[in-house]
Order: sequence, then structure tokens, then C-alpha cells
Amino acid sequence: MTIKLQKIDRYRWRIPQEGDMRTEGLVFASETMIQSLRQDQSLEQVRNVATLPGIVGPSMAMPDIHWGYGFPIGGVAAFDADEGIVSPGGVGYDINCGVRLLRSELEAEELRPRLQKLVDGLFQNVPSGVGSHRHDFKLTLAEERRVLEQGAAWAVRQGFGSEGDLDHIEAGGALPGADAERVSERALERGRAQLGTLGSGNHFLEVQEVEEVYHEPAARVLGLFPGQVTISIHTGSRGLGYQVCDDFLKVMHKAARKYGISLPDRQLCCAPLSSPEARDYLAAMAGAANFAFANRQMITAWVRDTFGQVLQKSPSDLRLNVIYDVCHNIAKWEEHLIAGRKRRLCVHRKGATRAFPPGHPETPSVYRQIGQPVLIPGDMGRYSYVMVGTAEGMAETFGSCCHGAGRVLSRRAAQKKARGQDVVGELAARGILIRAAGRSTVAEEISGAYKDVADVVDVVQQAGIGLKVARLRPMAVVKG
Amino acid sequence: MTRKAGFRLIEHTADIGLEAWGADPAQVFLQAALALKSIIVGNSPVRGRDSRSMTLEGEDAGELLVAWLNEIIYASEVLEMLPAHFRIRALDDHRLQAEIEGEQLAPNRHRVAREVKAATYHQLLMEDTGDGWHARVYLDL
Repeated sequence: MTIKLQKIDRYRWRIPQEGDMRTEGLVFASETMIQSLRQDQSLEQVRNVATLPGIVGPSMAMPDIHWGYGFPIGGVAAFDADEGIVSPGGVGYDINCGVRLLRSELEAEELRPRLQKLVDGLFQNVPSGVGSHRHDFKLTLAEERRVLEQGAAWAVRQGFGSEGDLDHIEAGGALPGADAERVSERALERGRAQLGTLGSGNHFLEVQEVEEVYHEPAARVLGLFPGQVTISIHTGSRGLGYQVCDDFLKVMHKAARKYGISLPDRQLCCAPLSSPEARDYLAAMAGAANFAFANRQMITAWVRDTFGQVLQKSPSDLRLNVIYDVCHNIAKWEEHLIAGRKRRLCVHRKGATRAFPPGHPETPSVYRQIGQPVLIPGDMGRYSYVMVGTAEGMAETFGSCCHGAGRVLSRRAAQKKARGQDVVGELAARGILIRAAGRSTVAEEISGAYKDVADVVDVVQQAGIGLKVARLRPMAVVKG
Repeated sequence: MTRKAGFRLIEHTADIGLEAWGADPAQVFLQAALALKSIIVGNSPVRGRDSRSMTLEGEDAGELLVAWLNEIIYASEVLEMLPAHFRIRALDDHRLQAEIEGEQLAPNRHRVAREVKAATYHQLLMEDTGDGWHARVYLDL
């Protein structure tokens, strides 16, 4: 299908409302990005989301948009509480896949001589890859239910990190309304051995150096300075979330039929927000999101232990504090101002990050003057970015921003490109150490498989929906 | 003449898909399972020592196919039973009786090539082409 596109300005493109669309599409992208987007089905997916009942504002895509399932990855859509729907496909299988950023008091130069030892230690202490888990940690079913209801706070109570960490996590590390009773036995079974694991694919743990600061006052508030060591953790709700999604897709297929919702793609199946099916899904989804917050909290504790062991420094010397932790696969109840009126909307972010502006009550008080931190990982060979939300973004995108670089090559194409290349050796020559559980993961995650995240954040900055604060360069990466 | 049964993996920017074909739906279900096996275990030699039987129900053949593939993912991820062979015992539009034969993951002999999150419904296809049956399923990796 050819999708009609109208250029609004240098960074905005409209998919005009036609046919069964209930609203228009709005894509944030540069001219170059649009050329490559025309090659796949992601624009059609923006169009498809625009057909869903009760959508408020346009069906949007951030500049890291790529072809997903049902919703495009990079998709943002908000739905009215009375007329709208919730769709598990608009959240994705990896519920609350997200990123957490830790700061430190370390300078990259003092760490470099111990870097190999550190990455080996992280690889040892933080389970990564298919099927790995810590042997000193077991979860009972009763405890797992508590994880779903309490999120990161559960992990803190078990001794993983401190209360102070919770203030620096989206939603305080626990979405309200979670109900473990709405999560199937199979989902609980899939999750039990996977709490405190990184997983595989594009998930990672990265030690970084602050390479450039773009916005000095905001960086100071976040506790960032040039040459400083930071750590990023990218993972989600593991098998528990995948199973919650799969379970509820079946429920939503039936629900869509029951409520007479016609679907351009089965993966967009959904139910009215006022229905019991939607309430059950949101309660289960919140549980899976909380599992993910607890997961990142536990990994944080093991990262702190490892730094302490390898560098022989105390926690107060290292000060590995959480800067922020953001979800990028989630549906949330939020209040937004629409045509001068406050409305309660269910905002779906599928591969997109919440980016609330300065002064917003949900932004942690320490960041209230600069806006909510937005963490945007790039690929393992280049860089990642820290941004903050803006008032313009709040008005235009329901306070949403991009979540990463976005793939341009399929995994097989990336493997083909990496063939004959010593990926690990070449990165090591540039001062980036890699430890990975699977060799194929490294080949699939080569820099060339992704858009240059610098181009993505430039579109975000130029469009005014986010503000660049700092760029982080990888020093060491642990992959699944 | 009806095409010989088979499968192939298809490209997707972020993930991977599979196509399977055969003379009847049962052959397609078998070929789709073999495609998924090739993704999960790669070239690791897996023996058919244990078996796991199941009866699945669905709204239509497409939903059943997704459910069947998700059972294979569950067995290999949670039960750590890697698949070797599959048997389709009975299949109609709403019900599948099938068996996975395989063995318990032994890290010294097997390597799980890839974690598959789920079989999805995105652009799901399960159809009679007039020249046999054809299916397409995208997997979330």
C-alpha cells in the first residue's frame, strides 16, 4: 500500500486522514529518514493505529520509527477514557522494557586500567543470555506476586538498593493498579527464574563515559560532568511480560469481536477502556511493568556490588546513584490538556519514552526545574544520549519522545554484513570492551544495523519535543 | 501437482518471520514448527528422548498455529525441553492435538541459538492456496 505523506516542515510529516482513519498520522523524521521509511511497512502501521476507536490527537511516530507488530516501534497514541481502547499490541511483548541510567563519582581515565576486570565482573554477576540466572537468588510464587504489586520497592525491601532510588524511577518504580490475580500461572511460571536477568537480543548493560555536555545547567542538576563514568541498564519484564501480552491478545481478539471493533491487523486487537477485558489487561500489564522495575533495581544492586569489588571502593566513594529509569513499552493513564480542557487519556508508548516538561508534578522534585530525564540508548559502537522533556513536547506529543536509534538492518542482514569482520576486536581497538553470552548477538547488534542515534535526537531537538543534555560514549558493554 | 512441504525464514527489520507450506494444514503446522526449531536451537543436535503432548483450542486455524508455536517456545524456555521432532495427531479449525519430542537442555551439548519472545498475529496468514496450504507468522525476538 502506498501511504500519502505531506511535508509539514523539515521534521514533521502528515499522513492525511482518509478511508477508515479516525485521525491523521504525524511522523517526526528528516527527509533522509522518510526515504528509508517508505521501504517498509511502518508508515502503514501509523495509518492503521489511526483507525482505532477513541483516538485523541494524531497517531504519532517518533524519529526512531521502524516496522513493528500492529503498532510501529516508535509509536505514540492516546485514547479517550470513555470512547477509546487499550491494545496489548500498542505496548508490546516486552512490557516496560526500559532504560535506567546510573551516575558515578568516577572519571573514565581512572577506570580504564581496571575496565577489563570490571566488565568480566559485570558479566559474571549480572545474568545475561538465554536461560541464565543467579544461583543465589530464588523467588517463591508468593514473593513473585508481591513483586508484581510493589515493583522496585519490593527489591529495595529485599536489600537491593535504597529507598532513595525509588524517587528517580518513572512512577516511583510501581505502576498503580497492578493485580497479580490477573496474571496467568504460565506468565508467573515464565517469570520466576528470570527476575534479575538481562536477557538477550538488544538488551544490554553498558559502562559509559560522558563525552559531551550540551546543556550545562541541566547536566549539573542531573549530576553529570564531562569525563564521568555512567552505567546504563536496558531490559524489561522478560518472559513474564511476553506471556501477559500473549494471554491478553487472545482475550482482545474475542473482545474486539464482542464490541464490534474492526481491525486492519489482528495484532491491533483491543477492548474499550471501560470494559472488564481492558481493566484486567491494565491490571496485569501494571504487574508486568512492576516486575520490570524490580528487575532493573536488582541489576542495579549487582552493578554496585561489582564496582565496589573490582575497584575496592565504598558505596559513598562511588556514589552510583540512579539518575532516572524510564519505560519505553507501556500504556498509562495520564492527564493532558486538549483544546484547553483537562482530559484523562490512556497513552500508549510502543518504543517511545515519556518526556514530561519542567514543572510537571510527576517529574521528580529534584528535576522539576529542568524537566523529566529521557534516556536514549544508541548502538554499542557509537553513543547514547540524555535529554529532558519540554513544554512543546507536552503540548504536541502527550509528553513523548524517541526511545533509541531504531534498526535499519534485519538481524540476518546485520549478520551478513558482520561476516568476516572481527566485531569485538574492532571495538576493542576503539576502546570499547564487549562481553556477550552469544556470538551471533554481537554480529546482529553491530553499529551498521541501527540508524545513527545522533540523527534521531537531532530531529527530536529540532522539532522541540526534547532537549539534548549530554552524549555518552560506551566503554564496556555486556550483551545477552 | 501440490508443492512439496517446506519452510523458509523471512526478513523483518527488527525480528524474523517464517513461511511454511504443505499439502494440508497438518503439514504446514509441522513445517512451521521445524522453522521455529531452526531458529531456537540452530544446528545443535537434539534427540527425541522425551515427549510432551498437548491439546490446544483456538478461534481459527491461524490462532491455533500461533498457539502451537508459542507452546514450543514455552517448552524450550521454561521447561528447558529443546525440540527435536513434532507430531501432529489431529487438527481441525478449532482444535490441535500434537506432540513435541525433544530432550532436556544440556549446556555441554546444546546451545540455545536465540531467545524468541513470542509468535505474533501480525500479518498472520494461514490459507488454502488451491495448490496446498500456506502460512506466514512473524516472531518477536
